[in-house]
Amino acid sequence: MLKTNANVERASLEDMAMLSMEVGRLLMESGASARIVDDYVARTARGLGAERIDLRVGYASLAITIGIGGEGITRMRKVGHLGVNQRLDQALRKLSYRVERGELGVSGIRTELERLPRETPRHPGWLVDIAVGVACASFGRLLGVDWLGVGPIFAGATIAQSFRRRMVARHVNVFINAVMVAAIASLLGGWGARRLGSSTVDIAMISSVLLLVPGIPSLNAQNDILEGRPTLGSARAVTVLIILIFLTAGLWLSQIILGEGN
Amino acid sequence: MHLDLIKILHNTLFGGLAAMGFGVLFNIGLRSILWCSVSGGLALAVRTVGLQLGWSLEAASFTAAVAVGSLVQMTQERIGMSRNILDVAGCIPLVPGGFAAKAILGMIALTAPVPKNPDQTLILSVEYLLRVFFTVGALGTGLAIPTLLLRVLAPKPQH
Repeated sequence: MLKTNANVERASLEDMAMLSMEVGRLLMESGASARIVDDYVARTARGLGAERIDLRVGYASLAITIGIGGEGITRMRKVGHLGVNQRLDQALRKLSYRVERGELGVSGIRTELERLPRETPRHPGWLVDIAVGVACASFGRLLGVDWLGVGPIFAGATIAQSFRRRMVARHVNVFINAVMVAAIASLLGGWGARRLGSSTVDIAMISSVLLLVPGIPSLNAQNDILEGRPTLGSARAVTVLIILIFLTAGLWLSQIILGEGN
Repeated sequence: MHLDLIKILHNTLFGGLAAMGFGVLFNIGLRSILWCSVSGGLALAVRTVGLQLGWSLEAASFTAAVAVGSLVQMTQERIGMSRNILDVAGCIPLVPGGFAAKAILGMIALTAPVPKNPDQTLILSVEYLLRVFFTVGALGTGLAIPTLLLRVLAPKPQH
């Protein structure tokens, strides 16, 4: 219907709303804060020719009102699981800049938005598992675990991360997954540490579950509140709290099985 | 005033490794992973020095977060990474996850039919909970301050 600066196609209000919200949805699902989502959705919509852009960023949905002259529409879009994917986040930002400069038309943006989630490179699963194992073992040393406990933490966290990856692929509920992953990690970490004669079995069990600490959501929660979006920030904070409770439930289960923590 | 250099080096190394591990989990490109390590190592080095100087955990964590936030704000455009993710990868070794788990476990222990040492368990749980609350607050505030202050001074990104 209307388009001001694109070199190829004219974008309708519908295109402007839906394509810019798709950028926002993917950014949310890649771990971006509300300010970033707001910023890049606005860049995309402006690049497509929008004059007025009002975006509401919710925990599970986005709503946008786009206007040009006397015309305007409002649309809403569902947001899926909020994960973390740095390379997709960066690719989406670059896409927004290209749209803002008028380098892509409607079909070009649509193609890129379909391609990026599919083709943005990811580390191999085994590498992620090992890296998470190394991270938890390092947490163990920082929390005071003796050297005998480090190997079991590494093994427990690596196996638990591999399990978590498989459960995520099967769309298992994130909280139920947290309980199972925490139980597996702490059971293996604690059992191994005890078998090897470590004197810090309880701390080894806690270190093994730290792969589940929701760092990005907790920081985003604070950022969102500090930047004037208390509703979204509170929703993120509640999710962080519930994950911590489920994480502890898994740890508690394995403590009962191993007879630790009494 | 005595600083234990071995302890500082130890914590810097393992802080860097922990940040690197989370960098891979966050799907940061391999070339940028080094920056996660630098960020995590710096965080732990600053916090360890602070603790050795007699500061509280919260004060040391706040200072470490300010250091990480400043580093990230000054280098983010050069290395082409999301500020948020680099902040988190650097500060994740500072998150008091161990205290959080101990606090909730303590609360669970209090609900047993006959809790052992309930007064002591309650006080410890509340102490751990407060430490989590204040430390996480210190991290968020420490990261936000350089961002908000330096954002106006930083050059606009050219993409």
